[in-house]
Amino acid sequence: MPRQRLIIASVYIAAFFLGVGSAWLWLTGVGIAGIDAGAWRVNLLAGSQNADAYTRARIALGAVLALDRSETLYYTTQRDDQGEPLRAECRYKVEGSPPPARWWSITAYDQDHFLFPNTERRYSVGTESAQLDSAGRFSLTIGPLPANERDNRAWIPTAGTGGLRLTLRLYNPDPAVQQSPGSLSAPSISLNGNCL
Amino acid sequence: MNRLRIHIAAAAALAIAFHALTVWALPRLIMDRIITLGNGDARGQLGAQASTGVYLPPPTDHTQRRIVMPSPDLLYATCAYDLSDGPLRIRMAASYPSYWSIALYASTTDNFFVVNDRKTSGARIDLRLIGPQAAKSAAPGDVIAPTARGFLLLRLLVNDDSAVRAAAETTRRTLRCERS
Repeated sequence: MPRQRLIIASVYIAAFFLGVGSAWLWLTGVGIAGIDAGAWRVNLLAGSQNADAYTRARIALGAVLALDRSETLYYTTQRDDQGEPLRAECRYKVEGSPPPARWWSITAYDQDHFLFPNTERRYSVGTESAQLDSAGRFSLTIGPLPANERDNRAWIPTAGTGGLRLTLRLYNPDPAVQQSPGSLSAPSISLNGNCL
Repeated sequence: MNRLRIHIAAAAALAIAFHALTVWALPRLIMDRIITLGNGDARGQLGAQASTGVYLPPPTDHTQRRIVMPSPDLLYATCAYDLSDGPLRIRMAASYPSYWSIALYASTTDNFFVVNDRKTSGARIDLRLIGPQAAKSAAPGDVIAPTARGFLLLRLLVNDDSAVRAAAETTRRTLRCERS
């Protein structure tokens, strides 16, 4: 009899871990749904009152206090244009035209969703800091080393090894991209040189 | 043996329930922690700022590790509120010459209200926020929160210019979250 009780208790304990564990794996292991633009993905339900339970939980884990799409579009990626995972120990070139929004920025995050430590306190490039060429395009470097030691203004340093997450924020996006976020001509992301 | 089968079936149903409960509860637990910490931050401030209900975090950098994906382009101010005991009055000078927004979040993490510099006119923001239990007595212009507890986040776009940062600092110090 005690053995049977032990088996029954084990079944219920296993049920608890199976339920909680499967939810955690589903929330953290499965990428967030959304609309793709190049290597980037935007979830239109971030911050929304219409978000389903899974989206709300994923946003809470990775982007809590996001603004509704009427105010901001958040494009994120963990992969380059070739579909390869972004790595903090590698150097990437990110190029494109300024997105159609009142202001925009590209920020590099560690795999834990926080900023990389760096003494220069340089974490993002955007409307306020992007250098545009004669064609009106920007080009920036994200990685442990700048592309050009003499001019590193367009460089977002990373640190350590492991995953790298990029977020492209469009504050007050133009109506066309707000209506059709997949139509964004999103910045390209390509590996530039060898990884450390 | 039949009894064991019944227990296994019940355990499978429980596993599904635990799965659903985890997905449902996670955002609420995370938000509860943000609200609780925000309350402590506001009360822990010294001087005149302590009575405003508003917390002014330091400029965003890599040492900020409380709320995920902080934006380094923004200067923030926060206010954790509870409308169980009555409405909240939110006021701020609206003179900052660049982008700013005040966003309100329910305890479910939903962003149910946002106003920015282009959606407002006049020199001041003056909002009355009321809880769901008092929604029937709302006056025109009142903002109705879907949950009694929640969180306000002020965002001000800044850059490396010290004059811009000073203007943003001046503006966020005018933010008030007080009982109406």
